[in-house]
This record gives sequence, structure tokens and C-alpha cells, in this order.
Amino acid sequence: MPVRPVIRSTIIAFATAGALALSLAACTPQSSTGAGSSDSPVRGGTLTYASGDAEPTCLDPHVGGNYPQALVATQYLEELVSKNTKGQIIPWLATKWTESKDGLSWDFTLRDGVKFTDGTPLDAAAVKANVAHIQDPATGSSTGYLALGKVASTEIVSPRVIRFTLSQPDSALLESLTQPWLAIESPAALKRSKDVNCAHPVGTGPFIVKQWKKQDSITLVRNAGYTSPPADAAHHGPAYLSKIVWRFIPDSATRYAALKAGEVDVIDNAQPDTIVAAHKTKSLTELNAPRPGASNRIELNSGKAPFNDEKVREAFIRAADVNDGIKTLFFGTAKRSYSALSSVEPLGYSEPGLFGYEPKKANELLDAAGYTTRDADGYRTKDGTRLTVVFPVSTNQSIPAEQSLFEQIQATTKKVGFDVKLEPMDLSSWYAALAKNDYDAVSAPYTKVGPDVLRILYDSASITPAPSGYFANLAQVDIPSLDATLEKAAQVSDVAERSALYETAQKTILEGYYILPLYDQQNHYLLRNDVVGLRALPSVSTPLFYDTWLDR
Amino acid sequence: MRRAASAGPRVALVVCALVVLWLLACAVAPGLVAPGDPLAIHPLQGFEPPSLAHWFGTDESGRDVFTRVVHGAGPSLLIGVAATAIGIVLGVALGTLAGLGPRWLDFGTSRLLEVLFAFPGLLLALLFIVIYGPGITTSTVAVGLATAPGYARIVRSQMLAVRGAPYIEAEVVLGRPPLWRFRRSILPNVAGTLFVLVTLGVGQSIVWASSLSYLGLGAKPPTAEWGAMLSAGRTYIDSAWWLTFFPGLVIVASAAAATVLGRTIQGRVRGS
Repeated sequence: MPVRPVIRSTIIAFATAGALALSLAACTPQSSTGAGSSDSPVRGGTLTYASGDAEPTCLDPHVGGNYPQALVATQYLEELVSKNTKGQIIPWLATKWTESKDGLSWDFTLRDGVKFTDGTPLDAAAVKANVAHIQDPATGSSTGYLALGKVASTEIVSPRVIRFTLSQPDSALLESLTQPWLAIESPAALKRSKDVNCAHPVGTGPFIVKQWKKQDSITLVRNAGYTSPPADAAHHGPAYLSKIVWRFIPDSATRYAALKAGEVDVIDNAQPDTIVAAHKTKSLTELNAPRPGASNRIELNSGKAPFNDEKVREAFIRAADVNDGIKTLFFGTAKRSYSALSSVEPLGYSEPGLFGYEPKKANELLDAAGYTTRDADGYRTKDGTRLTVVFPVSTNQSIPAEQSLFEQIQATTKKVGFDVKLEPMDLSSWYAALAKNDYDAVSAPYTKVGPDVLRILYDSASITPAPSGYFANLAQVDIPSLDATLEKAAQVSDVAERSALYETAQKTILEGYYILPLYDQQNHYLLRNDVVGLRALPSVSTPLFYDTWLDR
Repeated sequence: MRRAASAGPRVALVVCALVVLWLLACAVAPGLVAPGDPLAIHPLQGFEPPSLAHWFGTDESGRDVFTRVVHGAGPSLLIGVAATAIGIVLGVALGTLAGLGPRWLDFGTSRLLEVLFAFPGLLLALLFIVIYGPGITTSTVAVGLATAPGYARIVRSQMLAVRGAPYIEAEVVLGRPPLWRFRRSILPNVAGTLFVLVTLGVGQSIVWASSLSYLGLGAKPPTAEWGAMLSAGRTYIDSAWWLTFFPGLVIVASAAAATVLGRTIQGRVRGS
């Protein structure tokens, strides 16, 4: 199912449209087309955005490559292609593309007359420089680096045509190229030092990074010479807003209070209870855009004890009571997932039967696994070692409701004898703990367009760290047949064969009890009613403020 | 004035004494005051407002807030008392050195204390936690260390005052050895002040330790500890006020009760 922002005001507008069509002019739906608005957009004004995600350490999403970077980079960087709400790949900086018969060579024709905001023209040499930048180990790219894993070389066919030569066919190439982590930046700007480029990346987008006051805000100003909106944009020419102040307010209650007070116009990472409260508040609306790629899941580290034993993994999953917690903590805003993939991924495969709450079976499994004795605190032990599960929690990535859910899992798995050690920590400490293999369970969001995310997350090659030091296969799944299936799925373009292969792969992952799926990666934005024309890009569901204007 | 026995202060004193007694009961035998398990979760009974079944309501995981507040008294008071003990012991040691030692030692110690005073206490505690990592033990030690300079300065001035008193001069004339003088005359005369400081300090330390837990630097969730409860409930301040109100109330009540008792004792000590 494609990403489709469901907005309350839209529903209201449709319900009463017949009787009150004209009087509803002010209640404009938040959609990509801006349909329903009879007002003409207001130019100018400053929009304040408050992010609950971690502040990026680098504004160039080539470096590392996480979601906080994607959120802000969507405003000033653009990709070769994009995706529409139907899931089709549409033109952006590339107007057309052709794939060779063997799937090993792709030609992209670039849009004419596009200039980066430093004046450098967008041409084939620029794209070549960007691929080289992402693949250069010195850049320290993780997400972009993995996505371009099969690109062996690039070749300038003509100033406006760039050829990608692949080592193997890649059915996910176009989907990968829709992502902000593979945005095209000015080659002149990339030549500057890493620090300078991190502070002031230069792209072709509708806004320009003007200033970054660390620990406070990023100021983005309108790109007056903007000419390159994606094919599904609602208008042409420069953006309506003259400025965006991108603030960081990590505390969710403070963020919501700021929105309610009108101090900020849009917030992300909205808490479930505040989403419900916002539904009852006239001045606020919600934009719900679940992220594509993987679902939110707990990965069980099969690379070391205790989870190197499948019985112990299954016992943990059977002992974790998840559904009741989701029901209460998320106030109906999140639906339980039984899949490794997000519900917006058409090839997602669910198997609810594997994840039932069965403490009795869990106890039997642990007995069979040799954890037969219990210590004074009631935890199971084997050869004198307690059944401990170290669980580092990134407080930047897990919202408080999710952290509470983990506490509940800690409490329910304790009943069968697991000692889950929840360790809340900031993002950089969390990355460090993972890099040191200092975890048994972890919840790590991973956003990527398309089912190829499975290859990134569960191919044994992903146990080896990318240049950034991050490795994506946190469950440390190492199954040669799974590697082969995922490899094959990434090469075939036949739809039926591809989906059959991905189903096989997902079955292997789910039935091996490597993960405990929870729900889609939650991505709820709350905005004030006078913010018109905001939509989430269907690629990775980041908000794009190009068509947005302030009705005040 | 201090002898004016109007009804108001009496009532306040009795209330404070009751609060302290109740807290001590909670700390010593939480199971008697609230027999439930403070960590027991009931996911489907989350966010229930205060009722007869749950006097203080339930939290996001359906844990009974009253039970958690009662069971939180132990850790919270223990942190407060232990931190004060650390602060007082260090303060007495430094203050004695400065107050009774030779002039150069007094000079050195006093300058050291002034440097420490330049840092706000909580900042000093944060610095300590940054180096030794968060947790109940480190936050206790951190609060203790941060309060020590204040105690040291008061102890020093007390020592100086007692040292110059005529009865000590008399003992010097009588040829009593220094240690004997310290033990028999100086310490007992300073003890009254120390006792007042301890009572006042416990209240302050509870607030500080709760602040550190609130900041995620002390007790870890889901431990029943007042500061940690306040921190977890803060997210829901818009929709579930009881999650922050009751832990906040006991922090205020315990700190206020300890302070009022301390002041009363202070008044008595001065008056006698």
C-alpha cells in the first residue's frame, strides 16, 4: 500500500463538502496536490519546525546516513528520482532512465538547466563526483554506501547522460536512488573539507542552509533560483516560505506544548497521547506517514550467548507480552506488526502465529536449552551464568511509549527467568555499544525504500561494519541460504519471482526467531491548522516544505 | 520570639513529624504500608486516574503509583541520608583541619573550599557523574561531594568560635592534651550545630538526588524512585497529571518536613 497521509481535516472536508463547499475554504487538506484549496498560496513567512530526533552531527546525509539527516536534508538536497504515492518511480533530477537488457548498465538523462545553489551546473560529472563521494571510505557513509554496493563504476556518456555500471543486476537501484542519503550535492562543494561540507552542504533544493547554531537550530532560507521540483509537486518555481527555522526540542512534552502555544508550527515524533489530544484540538492536525523499509522490531543478537541458541530466542519471544502494552501505550495510534517489513511495503510477509504470548512454552524451551536452575532473584542460570539480556535503548530513537513497552517486556520475560538489562543512552553512546558488540537485544530503526532492506539487515555481509563503523545486521543472522535468496531477489526483475524470493527470506528470518516485530516505524507529524500544503515524500516519508505556505 | 507558643507552628511541627514518621515507616517496611509489588505491570490497566482501587492512579504500564511512591521512599531517603552522611563526614574533616590546624593549613583549606564554592553544587555533582557514570551509587556520592564544601565552611567557623572560648583557654592552662580537648570539649559543642545541619541537609539531598534521577543520571527506570517516576511521568503531563503530581508531592513534603524539623531543632539548640 502506498504512503497515504490520512488527515482529519481532509475527512471533515469530504464529509461536509456537499453542503458547505465554500465555507470550508480555510480548512485546506494537507495533500500533495493542494486540491480543495480555493485560496491562493501566500508567499513569504517563516515556518518553525521542532524535531524530536537527534540533532545531526553532519548535515550532509552522505556522511553516516540516518533519519535525522534525511529529515532536514529533504529541504535543501534532491535525488535523481522520486516515488509517487502509487509506489511508481518518477523523474526528479533525472528526467528519464534506461536499463540495459542484462541489467548491468543504467543510463540516466539529467534535467536541463539545473544549477546548484553555489552556481555549479548539474551535469553528469556532478553525479559521478557524488557516487565517488559516497563510495569513498574517507566520507564514512553507511546508508548510501550500502545502497550503492553494486555500483562498480560510473561513466560520463555526455554532459547530460551518466551511466552506472553494476557488478550484478540490482532490482532495488531506482528505489535506492529516491532516498535522501543518495542526494546529489554540488561537486565543487564536496571538494571542500568534510567539516565545512557538513556545516553547509550545497544542493539544488528549494531551501539553502544559511546557518547552523549547534544545539539550537538550523536556519534555512528560500532558494530564489529554484527550478527542479519533483514530478509530483503541486507548483513550479521557488518555494512559498521564505525561511524555515529547524529547531531541536528532544523532550516530547515540551515539543507538544510549544506547538500548542503556537511557538512552533510543525513537530515530528509526536507522542501517542498527544496525537489523541491533538485530534481533539481544533488548531492542530496530524500527518501520519509510516516509514518504509523495516518494521520496528527487537533484534536478538544471534552472534553470541545467550541468543546464539534458537531455543532461547524463541523463549524470549514467547515470554514477551507485547500486544496489551501496545494497546495501552499507543492509544490506538500503532498497529501490532508480525513482519520484518513495514506495512507500506507491498512485499511484507506476516506470520502472527510465531509471536503469541506463551510463557509455558517459553519455560519448556529454556529448560531444554539448559537454563534449568534459578538464582536467589528468580533469574534462570546455566553453569552459574545468569540468563542476562543486555538491551541498550537509544533515547533519541525510542519514544517514551516505546521505552515503556520495553520495560513491560522486561517485566513479562522476567517471569520465565530472563534478566533484561535496559540501558537508556544517547545516540552516540548507543552506536558505540553496538560497535563493541555489547548488546544482546536492540531496537534499531532502519529506513530504506523497498524490500531490499532485508539484504541490508540480514545478509551476513552486513555483520561487517560499513566505513562509518555501523553494521546493519544487528541480529547477526548468518545463513548462507538466506544470503543466496536475498542476493537473487535483488537481481531478478520478474515481479512474481521476486516476491516469492522475498517471502522465503522473510520466513527464514521470522521462523528462526531472530526478531520480535512490534509495529511500523512510527512517523507522526503534528502541525498547526494554518500550515497548508505539507506532505511527506513517499520515498522515506520525510516532510517536504516546498509546496507549504502559511495561511495567516 | 522563638518561645511564642502559638498554635500554628505547633500544628505544622506535628504534621511534619507525622510526615517524617510515615516516610520512615515506608522506608523501613514498605510492604506493610503498601503490600503490592511496585514493579508488577498490568498493561491493560494503564493510565487509570486516582480511584479507590488505585489511590494515586496507575502509570503507563498499569503499575500502582501509590505502591511505587511508598516503595520509592526507601531508595530516595537512603540516597538523601547517605549523601548527607558523606557530605558531613567530609565537611567535618575539612572544617576541623581548617578550624583547628595551623594557620597555613587553614589558609590552604579555605582557598580550596572557595574554589569548590565557585562551582554550583549540582554542576559539581554532574561533573562527577560524567566521569564515573550514572547510577544510584555515583549519584549518592556526587551529591555528598557537592554538599561537602558548605558543611566544611560552617564547621570551620564553629571550630574557630569554640576554639577561642574561655573554657578552652582554661583547659589549655590546665594542660589538657589537644586530642582530649577536641574530644571532650570542642566536638560536643559543635555537635548540636552538626545535628541541625544533618536534618536540614537530608531534605536538600533528597531534592538533589531526585533531580539527578529526573535527569536520567540516578536510579534507572523502572526502579521505584521519586525522581525517576517524575521523569517517566513528565511525558504524560498533558494527559495523566497523577503520574507527576504524587511523586512531586512526596518530594516536596519530605524535603519540607525535614527542613521544618531541622529549623525547630536549630531554634531549640540556640535557645538552650
